[in-house]
Amino acid sequence: MSRTRALMTALRARLGAAEPLAPPPPLPRVEAPPARVYTPRREASRFAAEAARHTTALVGIGHVGTRYATDVVLQFQAELAVAHAAVAAELPDDWAEAQGMVPVRSRVADHREFLLRPDLGRRLDDASLARLRQRAPRGADVQIIVADGLSAVACQGAGKALAEALRAACQARGLTVGALVGAKFARVWLEDEIGQELDARVAAILLGERPGLGTGDGLSAYLVYAPRIGKTDGDRNMMSNIHARGTPPAQAAARLAALAQAMIAQGTSGVTLDLAQVDGGAELGVGYRAPQVRQRLVEHGGGGGAGGAGGAGGGGRRR
Amino acid sequence: MILEPIVPTVLAVRRLPAASPALLAAYGADPARHVSLGLVTCDQDDATYVALDEATKHAPVDVVFARSFYAGAAHASGRLSGEILGVLAAAEPQAIEDGLEALLRCLAHDACFYDADGKRGVTVFPHVIGSLGHYLAAEAGLAVGEPMAYLVAPPLEATIGLDAALKAAAVRAVRIVAPPTETNFACAWLTGEAPGDLAACEAAAEAYAAAVVEVAGGGAGAGGR
Repeated sequence: MSRTRALMTALRARLGAAEPLAPPPPLPRVEAPPARVYTPRREASRFAAEAARHTTALVGIGHVGTRYATDVVLQFQAELAVAHAAVAAELPDDWAEAQGMVPVRSRVADHREFLLRPDLGRRLDDASLARLRQRAPRGADVQIIVADGLSAVACQGAGKALAEALRAACQARGLTVGALVGAKFARVWLEDEIGQELDARVAAILLGERPGLGTGDGLSAYLVYAPRIGKTDGDRNMMSNIHARGTPPAQAAARLAALAQAMIAQGTSGVTLDLAQVDGGAELGVGYRAPQVRQRLVEHGGGGGAGGAGGAGGGGRRR
Repeated sequence: MILEPIVPTVLAVRRLPAASPALLAAYGADPARHVSLGLVTCDQDDATYVALDEATKHAPVDVVFARSFYAGAAHASGRLSGEILGVLAAAEPQAIEDGLEALLRCLAHDACFYDADGKRGVTVFPHVIGSLGHYLAAEAGLAVGEPMAYLVAPPLEATIGLDAALKAAAVRAVRIVAPPTETNFACAWLTGEAPGDLAACEAAAEAYAAAVVEVAGGGAGAGGR
């Protein structure tokens, strides 16, 4: 009973009014707002539906009214969360040492500064420079650097394996490979200073790439011939999406080794490199590849809640 | 019957899940923060003001509009008008739902007018709010969480009742609205002299109700003078 009602009941008794009061009414029921129910519509275009079978991109996903289906939204949010987590992850300080690499780091002080100051991420700090001069042999054909880049998750996942595979592939082609260098807080251009310092003919940095939807584990590789501070992106060749659902690391290593050899043979890299002369082979895996299936991160019950906006998604996405 | 609760009748409950920005601005909402509105009409304005404040304690809603209608519910402009339109605003529809639920619960079980003469010819609203929400706290210039006695009666009864209430306990008047108001009642808001003095507010409300009953001539043993 409410405070005021109790107060008035007591006052009423004191004033001598004895007739019993009616019992309080039951609690009111709030009428639910009217729900408009839209049924999920599958993608109508057969072209889009067929295209969706060959990509992990968001095509042919159908619609519910004017909006996405619930399971499409949930999947999108989960994939975005994976990307956010990958950007926020930080490479442990002792990671490179534990992997048997020469540990170096850029001039960045902390993770936030790393995200905000790309310029500082492109230069080695003084301690790293000294360590590099002391521990890493000079004059290799290919200098491989494993780095965190924008996804420490990817670096810790497949970074070492890709580096080892690339080293083996280069050696199989008769190229010498320097000691593996592990860089923290590194941007792509850090390979210029490291390669210049170690007098390598080709510098190859393998680093976590800026995460996309659901791919927090993707690696990119950037190769540059005759690395010097001041080289631009026009001087580099790169390969992205090195992960299980993109280019598998083993295949990527074979292609990158062929690229490095072509750079040394032609004496250049970047836009002036003639890719037509890159020595291709069956192991480079440039033929037909089976359609990639989107990885489901969430399952939507589709039981049809009060709003009725749920239900299975459109476009044959759920498999 | 003397001091029988007169339970308010809620005449309409409507929502606007995504109100037009022009409408939001016109009714005092902030289109940058508010999207959804909840609208209530009721035949007791003061009970509804208290219930709107109650809603702000239970959901992230703001009371952007609450106005009494002229001459009260007995002379309403339409079947759904009553004597007040209260408008809750929130960033999303679910907050409106939660706010409306608290508001309706308060109207059904807490805030109401009471019969002061046994014939409903005179009614009194001697309501004690234990803890103010941010709507009435801002209106009264008091801190959120302070107690307040919200006292309403017809003009003559209210005047004598307020005098009795102010003398009955260590309370101070936060706001006194002399008659006539839109509904031709008179209103006073009291709080404890000492912050947080709920007992003083209760004593004041009780004295107010007793005085109004006495003036209305409905009390046992109380003759009209």
